[in-house]
Amino acid sequence: MAAFLLRRIGYGLLTVLGVLFLLFVLFFAVTNPDDIARKAVGERARPEVYAQWKANHGYDKPLFLNKAFAGGDMRRYTDTLLAEHYRRMLTFDFGRSDADDSPIATRLWQGAGPSLSLTVPLFIFGLVAAVALGLFVAFFRETYIDRAVLVLCMLTMSITSLLYIIAGQYLVGKLLNWFPISGFDPNPAVVARFLALPVLVGIVAGIGADVRFLRTVFIEEMSRDYVRTARAKGCGDARVMVRHVLRNALIPILTNIVVAIPFLFTGALLLESFFGIPGLGSLTVEAIQGNDFSTLRTMVYIGALAFILGQILTDISYAIADPRVRLG
Amino acid sequence: MYRLWILAAVACGLAVPGCTNNPYPDTDRDKKVLYSSFNEAPKTLDPAVAYTTAEHVITGNVYDTLLEYHYLERPYRLIPGLAEAVPEAKKLPDGRQSYRFRVRPGVLFHADPCFAVGQAGRQTRDVVAADFAFALARVADPAVNSPVISSFAQVQGFADFSKRLVELRKTEGFGALPAHEQYARADGIAGVVAHGDKELEIVLAEPNAQILYWFAMPFTTPIAWEAVAYYDGKDGRRHFADHAVGTGPYRLALYEKQYRFTLERNDAWYGSVPANRDAPGAVFPKVIDPQDIAEARIDASYAGRQLPFVDRVKFSREREDIPRFNKFLQGYYDDGGIIKESFDAVVQGDRLSPAMQARGMRLDKTVEPSIYYVGFNMEDPVLGVPAGERGRKLRQAMSLAVDSQQYLELFLNGRGVPAQTLLPPGIFGYAAGYKNPFRQYDVARARKILAEAGYRNGIDPATNTRLKLSFDTSATTASAGLQFEYLARAWREIGLDIEINATTYNQFQDKIRRGAYQIFIWGWLADFPDPENFLFLLECQSARSKSGGPNTANFCDKEFDRLYREMKDLPNNEQRARLISRMLAILERERPWIELYHLENFVLSHAWLVNSKPMGISAPAYKYKDVRPELRARLQAEWNAPVRWPLYLVLILVVAVTAPAVRTYYRERL
Amino acid sequence: MHWVSNAVVLLLVLGAIWLARVVPRERYWRENALELWRRRRVAIAVIAAYLLIGLLDSIAWVDAASEANALTSGRPATIVDRIFKPESLKEASYSAPLASVSFYGGQPLAHPGAHLLGTDLLGRDVVYRTLKGVRVALLIGGLTSLVVIPIALLFGVSAGYWGKRIDDAVFFAMTVLASVPNLLLLIALIMVLGKGTVQVCVALGVTGWVHFCRIARGETLKLREADYVAAARALGVSDAGIIRRHILPNIAHLVIITFALSFTALVLSETILSYLGIGLDGSWGQMIDQARNELSRTPVIWWNLAGASIALFTLVLSVNIIADAMRDVIDPRTRREGR
Repeated sequence: MAAFLLRRIGYGLLTVLGVLFLLFVLFFAVTNPDDIARKAVGERARPEVYAQWKANHGYDKPLFLNKAFAGGDMRRYTDTLLAEHYRRMLTFDFGRSDADDSPIATRLWQGAGPSLSLTVPLFIFGLVAAVALGLFVAFFRETYIDRAVLVLCMLTMSITSLLYIIAGQYLVGKLLNWFPISGFDPNPAVVARFLALPVLVGIVAGIGADVRFLRTVFIEEMSRDYVRTARAKGCGDARVMVRHVLRNALIPILTNIVVAIPFLFTGALLLESFFGIPGLGSLTVEAIQGNDFSTLRTMVYIGALAFILGQILTDISYAIADPRVRLG
Repeated sequence: MYRLWILAAVACGLAVPGCTNNPYPDTDRDKKVLYSSFNEAPKTLDPAVAYTTAEHVITGNVYDTLLEYHYLERPYRLIPGLAEAVPEAKKLPDGRQSYRFRVRPGVLFHADPCFAVGQAGRQTRDVVAADFAFALARVADPAVNSPVISSFAQVQGFADFSKRLVELRKTEGFGALPAHEQYARADGIAGVVAHGDKELEIVLAEPNAQILYWFAMPFTTPIAWEAVAYYDGKDGRRHFADHAVGTGPYRLALYEKQYRFTLERNDAWYGSVPANRDAPGAVFPKVIDPQDIAEARIDASYAGRQLPFVDRVKFSREREDIPRFNKFLQGYYDDGGIIKESFDAVVQGDRLSPAMQARGMRLDKTVEPSIYYVGFNMEDPVLGVPAGERGRKLRQAMSLAVDSQQYLELFLNGRGVPAQTLLPPGIFGYAAGYKNPFRQYDVARARKILAEAGYRNGIDPATNTRLKLSFDTSATTASAGLQFEYLARAWREIGLDIEINATTYNQFQDKIRRGAYQIFIWGWLADFPDPENFLFLLECQSARSKSGGPNTANFCDKEFDRLYREMKDLPNNEQRARLISRMLAILERERPWIELYHLENFVLSHAWLVNSKPMGISAPAYKYKDVRPELRARLQAEWNAPVRWPLYLVLILVVAVTAPAVRTYYRERL
Repeated sequence: MHWVSNAVVLLLVLGAIWLARVVPRERYWRENALELWRRRRVAIAVIAAYLLIGLLDSIAWVDAASEANALTSGRPATIVDRIFKPESLKEASYSAPLASVSFYGGQPLAHPGAHLLGTDLLGRDVVYRTLKGVRVALLIGGLTSLVVIPIALLFGVSAGYWGKRIDDAVFFAMTVLASVPNLLLLIALIMVLGKGTVQVCVALGVTGWVHFCRIARGETLKLREADYVAAARALGVSDAGIIRRHILPNIAHLVIITFALSFTALVLSETILSYLGIGLDGSWGQMIDQARNELSRTPVIWWNLAGASIALFTLVLSVNIIADAMRDVIDPRTRREGR
């Protein structure tokens, strides 16, 4: 088990290094630091101001090779943008935003709270709803309920999430006056009102695909022998579904869950942007609209890190659940 | 199992009564709070740098200035703020001019940890004349990068001071000194003299009649050197750009710049000191225009009362227009602009629709001192000066093909005045009733002039295809795209082949820098109500290609420049009017711009917001406004009752649809 | 550059003709295709209609300049443009579907009753704009995938077949690319490359490549161990021969299904890109984004949004249905039970 763990984590680290290289190529080799400097500082500043800004934000060194140093000197390779990039990202030294100079790490901290307060309930309630609906439909398979739900799933999967958000805001916020149209206030007395609508819209948008998947998994479990045995023994239906089918179907469900954890952090981009929730997703959208490359770079990195972590956790949980994996 | 379903349905049903769409906590309901919104997050609160409306909303109310604009009078008039009187120019020998300000007593900075404990045990101190000098020194400091540094060029010694600072900073250790030390060692600005604690003298090397307007803007507000030294971003302290230490009627109590900020009443404001009881900037105007009273804009009972009235102003960020407007309609914002989409529901003919009037709302209209225009790059070989008469006729033809009125109606619900010249109504030099012959929509005439230019039907005889022109834009939103498409279509109508090159902001600035643009679209909102602030946009030395200035059209006309220099410092008299009309005649003929429109600001206010008169010039106004909280609470509750029946209906439907299956199943099982 | 799109169309048509000749020869393909047609006639017909519209919109040529067509000459006009003649059908501004007066102000229209779905802010016919969006959608979903699939297959099959170093390298590249959340990578690519049709397609290609590669690699790994492959190798068939004759045909059906699913994913993700301002010009996503504000007007202006949404929804739904049906058709279990 330990060997497996080490191997897996080692590979994860290697992947992180690879991702950093990709980011480097995208954000340093392809983009022009002069343009970024001009956008941030303004058009009419003197050359020294640009140079100063570039130095402050880490754009002023040569890309791969610093020819200012001689061949044998290590600094030829370490005093470059590439080396700086790796050093800063691996030590989580994110620096400052290109657009308004604020420290990125602070913004990340501030944004994490609202993001989590949206995505965690979304995830949990979404999962519960999908599982409940999936069990219900699997139980009533081949009946009109099953067919109707399948058709509904197909329909809902074909609608773009943009439309869900627009319709949700219009119907629930404007016509029915149930919840505020948008906004956010961390005050615990009122925070639930602001989250109710985005969570609802998020669940409705994603439930179609989940239910279809879960239904397949559950139906496959239900055809197993032990289910027939349990029924023959006289177990009630609910008991059978929940205690036997659900539990054994957990393995594939689990792998899907763990894979989704990274998205809890990167935040639901669209939902946060439309509903004005000041989380990490909002931060990313602002970075896009403000041409803020350093924040965008950091967000992509964080997303990748969370994803890789999620993969490692998935593999580990799979290894724990299924002995064949860790011994093989 | 179906017991679970029933339980879930009941739970949902019980949750419904708790629903509400009020975004504010219930405890706020009875305080004197004003709710407003902002769209763009402020980039900086440094008064020497802050230039956008979003930033000015804060700096204008948190920082006081020597002079202010009278809240109600139109055209705008300067009144004393922190100064005891509006100074007259005093002529000095060798052509210099001097203005002397006397600062009022009892002006204190906001209590802030950057001060040592001072009067009455609070961490604050009196404002002295040296604080104004410090503020101007910061504007002159190249490291601060103030966008208005060139506007103070006539102040004696201004540019020299900047140069001395740059030189001294090259020496060892100088750069590590705090800012006020550096300015002291550089001997300050020669033309800014503090006489004692309360007298400030500004000496101009040459006359500049508009300089007084700059003293009504936060660029010249007194700044505490302690604040600049303390808020340096180290040890967890904020940057000075994110922290405001002013003297104003409000302090910045909460500042999360991306999401919300709050202004709180300053109890130690100079207006509350008995000596300043009649300071024009601290009391509501005693004389009120009867029209303002008749239109219920201003409540006459406020005349002469002490300011401010509201305890707190809360701003929330609304990035999207529609949710903002909807929240306004629900009563959760006290004022706001109208959005295009709901215009017809709100305004009918020229007044508020009956539905809105029934809600007690008010509509206020002001024409902003602004001009929105399409510009030509006058250095372009096809469109500009190198093409001589041909280029001129081409520009004239294109100018005739654009219908400003229709543009306004399509994209702005007619909220604007089609522009005849670049000067908007309310600015000296604007001639009401004057019609620019090249701004009257006339496609036939446009085609004729285009043919005279040698491009019959738009065909370029050199290539035998339509003349290809590039329209360069930097806005990438869908709605902006539609506006550009409309303009391009107007020119295609006379036969030209227009290609819209919409790029990101970076790419656009690149093009401008390289001079690789032909047609562009831009807008300008005046800093102060003087024609110089518009005409300078076409002065040769402001040309983009020569000095990176705002004259993006690169318009260079010797006669125009000569007239400009003559008219710049004249008072608003006959001679000035004549010079200006000659300048406008040149612009009319040469067509460096197609003047589109002057924007009209439509501001809606709710019945509970009192004393709200929109000012076209960006100026502090919250100290004059007031709210009636009980009225607001009552109307909000009335307008936002949640509609519950759809939820019950859906629940019943779900149960009804699934019941047959459940019942059949249980029956078959037995 | 209309001759580019003309050339591409020609290539595609030639490719389709070649396929139509090759496929019926194999009994496996012929039977599956017929079975699919039997089950989902409507969906297939719908997709064929979309393809036809896209085709019509891709063939363009330029009219010579003359007095008569002063406005439209000089620009390449596609067949759809010529049928609809958008310039001559223009109104001033909004009008309701099949109306004879304009929406605001009630003035009589230039072409009363001619607009099936009304007109938008600039007076352009909504049906025309929706049809123009078909080509963009097919471009995003279809062309991008078509370009990406051969490259992905190349890497995936090589990795799966030859294993060891090649496999390690390809697998690593795939993992690195897959580790970055899709939307974020897409945004980063477009921000860096700039706005434009080619750039967006390249970005979509880079993010979509991994999916195909993974499928190809997985299947190839499985197939490599099959008996008949070992037999072929014993008989002395070359590597290339094995790949061409045994591996490729057996992963083809999976590739097709994945193509269908990734098509819908790409088209739906383009709407999100349009919202962020970095999508393609003239796409349905852009129409939805433009129209999003119109829902808030009173009375509501819904036809712009309806046109784009219905077109998008129908296309995506049809492809989803076909993908589902394909999976059922190919899976022997469901076939055998004769459902």
